[in-house]
Amino acid sequence: MLAKLFVKCQQCGTTHFYSFFKHAYFVCSRCGHHFRLDAPTWLKQLCDRGSFQELDGNLKSLDPLGFPKYESKLAQATQQTGANEAVMTGVGEIDGYPAAMAVMEPNFIMASMGSVVGEKITRLVEYAALNKLPVLMVISSGGARMQEGILSLMQMAKTAAAIRRLHESRMPLITVLTDPTTGGVTASFAMLGDISIAEAGALIGFAGPRVIQQTIGQKLPEGFQRAEFLLEHGMLDIVVPRKNLKKTIVTILKIHRSRPYTRRPQYFN
Amino acid sequence: MKFKILVANRGEIAIRVIRAAHELGLEAVAVYSEADRDALFVRYADQAVCIGPAPLAESYLFYQNILAAAKSTGADAIHPGYGFLSENASFAEACRVLNIVFIGPQPMAIRKMGDKAMAKKLMREAGVPVVPGSEGVLGSCQEAKALAAEIGYPVIIKASAGGGGRGMRIVSEKKELENSYNAAVNEAQKAFGDSSVYLEKFIQDPKHIEIQVLGDKHGRVVHLFERDCSVQRRHQKLLEEAPSPVLDEPTRETMSAIAVRAAQSVHYDSVGTIEFIYDIRDKAFYFIEMNTRIQVEHPVTEMITQTDLIKHQILVATGEPLSLSQEQIHKTGHAIECRINAEDPESNFLPQSGTLSQFIVPGGPGVRVDSGVYPGYAIPPYYDSMIAKLIVWGDNRKDAVARMKRALREFVVEGVKTTIPFHQKMLQHKDFLSGNYTTSFIAKMLAAKGDH
Repeated sequence: MLAKLFVKCQQCGTTHFYSFFKHAYFVCSRCGHHFRLDAPTWLKQLCDRGSFQELDGNLKSLDPLGFPKYESKLAQATQQTGANEAVMTGVGEIDGYPAAMAVMEPNFIMASMGSVVGEKITRLVEYAALNKLPVLMVISSGGARMQEGILSLMQMAKTAAAIRRLHESRMPLITVLTDPTTGGVTASFAMLGDISIAEAGALIGFAGPRVIQQTIGQKLPEGFQRAEFLLEHGMLDIVVPRKNLKKTIVTILKIHRSRPYTRRPQYFN
Repeated sequence: MKFKILVANRGEIAIRVIRAAHELGLEAVAVYSEADRDALFVRYADQAVCIGPAPLAESYLFYQNILAAAKSTGADAIHPGYGFLSENASFAEACRVLNIVFIGPQPMAIRKMGDKAMAKKLMREAGVPVVPGSEGVLGSCQEAKALAAEIGYPVIIKASAGGGGRGMRIVSEKKELENSYNAAVNEAQKAFGDSSVYLEKFIQDPKHIEIQVLGDKHGRVVHLFERDCSVQRRHQKLLEEAPSPVLDEPTRETMSAIAVRAAQSVHYDSVGTIEFIYDIRDKAFYFIEMNTRIQVEHPVTEMITQTDLIKHQILVATGEPLSLSQEQIHKTGHAIECRINAEDPESNFLPQSGTLSQFIVPGGPGVRVDSGVYPGYAIPPYYDSMIAKLIVWGDNRKDAVARMKRALREFVVEGVKTTIPFHQKMLQHKDFLSGNYTTSFIAKMLAAKGDH
């Protein structure tokens, strides 16, 4: 109970009363640090109440390579987060505008991408292409999931191919890159958005800054791989503070579909 | 009953609360920023704690330090004053969790009334009149026509995504509606990328009239009549009076009863104000919002009803039943309040900071000054520019106006420019004297002066 009453900012150390913090979109009012959010919280912040319907919620990872301790790690992650996998996909409405949505769960093995994450993203994107829905992805990830080896890496090509089919169906992909978006996810679907939004201060990159510094033997510039740096260098379309994020997304959805559906579309057969 | 109140505010309202606490035999703790070290309210308090540097976000709004000050001084209650954290439901919740009495309404009432759309919806459900119009976006011009015919012209069409006057059209008669509707839709589409519009009755030149309510934790709510706050410049009130010179007795009764009902519908248990706009022509009034706190202009109500609102606010917050019944509340005479701001009316009300070389307040019968400054005090540039509230009481409006003129003449402030000369001019104005002035009075008065 007490843990939920107060929250301490990891960046500046300010203590926040939880209720204030929640109403400030989980952003530190002192230093502007954007806290990492779990998938249910994201959905609560973005979707109209009760509008989200999950797809493929029952998909679970197996242990195809017999990787040591992978099974217990999965069980532990499920226990901690209450989720079956590191992404939640489904269909929801944002201010009345319907969208297919994928939200990564950073507390599930660092939202790493294994076969199930790749499969769920692919299915969602294909579903959106078929049903003519825009896609919104809220991304955070540590990269490909090493416990599934080459099968994880294959998801990069698979998701990219699905997004190509979404493009052919002329529906937009909006990506929101949050802290951290790295590795194989950055190298696949995270960078394929028609509109790439990033949260203020988010770390976005393929290899981490430490690895790069050691490899090239040079000191990295200040703010390297941070959202604002990437925006300045043309890798992103916009960096948005969290309190304006929903508004920005709604504007984009509005532009791509001039008014909300008057009739609820048939999501499921 | 013996307890300690921490006052989470500054200036005159902090002093007002400290005075009430002392009169109730309670101790008061002040919190202050580094810029307010020399302020009067810090001296008046029994204890004072510095809570941070001058900027608001680092002191008076930095609730963490305020709560820490409350805990370290052993305060049992926090009075938030007005502004700052007074209408922050999370702050009220935080106090509750820390076992500190928040001297204000329960958090849920703050939250409900703080959300304008929700407040309107709740009020409509409680049978409180709100400005009539479409409850959502208009579907077509036909719909607009039907609705306008129902509520009556003039109407105003506004863009849902709107602001700044764009996508807004006032329609005074039926034959203009179609053109205006199309123009508003086009303009909204161009300006905001969203063509949705809604329609409302247009109330030209309304008066701003508010009803003071007071509730306790036992379900009782009473009203203390109205205040007329139509003297506004850019939505900032400059002068308030009670009772309103234009309300007749039946309207006053209906309005007050509705305000009580509005407060009851959210289980209101503190001092609060229900704000209405009032159309002089057809004597209709519409709810605009509720302020869930004590207001700057509360003294005019205190003067005509002989009550101490802050004392009642403190007592009901501790759970005591209200000691006043509606039958015991009467109004006598007329009260006017002038806000004396350190602003230069000659240069667009530019806020002034500097040292007060002279500060002599008026006195005599029927005069009250609530202020937080003294001669030699340096006005810090970080905060609100109000330095004093001058309140007078008279047997009737004419007497009150005469007394206000006399008091303004006695008031000496040197070192900074103030709004005193502006008030003096305003009190001569025939529109003010007639009592029929509306919220556009100041704008018109300033425009007319510009014509010379």
